[in-house]
Amino acid sequence: MNQAMNALSVLGEPNRLAIVELLRDGELTVGEIAQRLEIRQPQASKHLKILTENEILEVKADANRRIYKLRPEPFQSLESWLKTFQKIMEERYDKLDDYLQVLQQKDKTKKSKK
Amino acid sequence: MSRDSMTSKVENGRVLIIERTFDAPQALLFKVYSDAEHLKHFWGPQGWEVPFCTVDFRPGGVWLYCMKCVDKNQGQYYGMEAWGKGIYKEIVAPKSISYVDYFADEKGNTNPDLPSTDILLEFVIQGNKTKLVTRAAYQNEEELKKVMEMGMMEGISQTWDRLDEHLANLKK
Repeated sequence: MNQAMNALSVLGEPNRLAIVELLRDGELTVGEIAQRLEIRQPQASKHLKILTENEILEVKADANRRIYKLRPEPFQSLESWLKTFQKIMEERYDKLDDYLQVLQQKDKTKKSKK
Repeated sequence: MSRDSMTSKVENGRVLIIERTFDAPQALLFKVYSDAEHLKHFWGPQGWEVPFCTVDFRPGGVWLYCMKCVDKNQGQYYGMEAWGKGIYKEIVAPKSISYVDYFADEKGNTNPDLPSTDILLEFVIQGNKTKLVTRAAYQNEEELKKVMEMGMMEGISQTWDRLDEHLANLKK
């Protein structure tokens, strides 16, 4: 729960969200990330540091390269948070769906009487 | 009767977008959202009724409602009342309604300690059907957090094991 909120707040920054979206397709180095987002490497490093500190990314060393990848946990908690909100809305919309059918049924009955 | 599925996503960390298509014309969907007698029929989630609902449907007008849990199976929530208040901002019939949503009491006083939400409802024609797009924007992440901590999203812990394919892929 707190993890979901934390992830939301960290991903509120557009560059960080863009980094996460890039990494959905696979692991990348800081250089590759900077290049694809067309930002400077120090700027990319700054965002990667925040994302790593908040446990959204993990980093592994490969020779002298540092490779970044997504961790599943923050996305799982975001997902579960969304699902509960979704459940409440879904229940409301199911009722609305039924109610709209009832209203339209009445409408038809009225018209056919004319 | 088949139902259309609902989709939801978070945008910019503080905007929640929910979409659902209904088998009804745009004008009817707009109408049920703008009339207290209609709203009473569907505004409460499963097991919750709406014993009170008034609507002053114009910009600056107030929508005050009470949702009450009438389902004994919901344990601690049974008998609980939740009051909410909306203040309409812009109404573009039959296309959209925007309002600010507040937590309130039965007198209609807004609760200053709890965050408000900017809501935009859009009714989009899709052939014979209408898609309802709800955008809920919280002031900032802190505000969103407060709403969550109140337990508004009950049953928070359930779905940890129900992850979609994308999440499964992340683990690889």
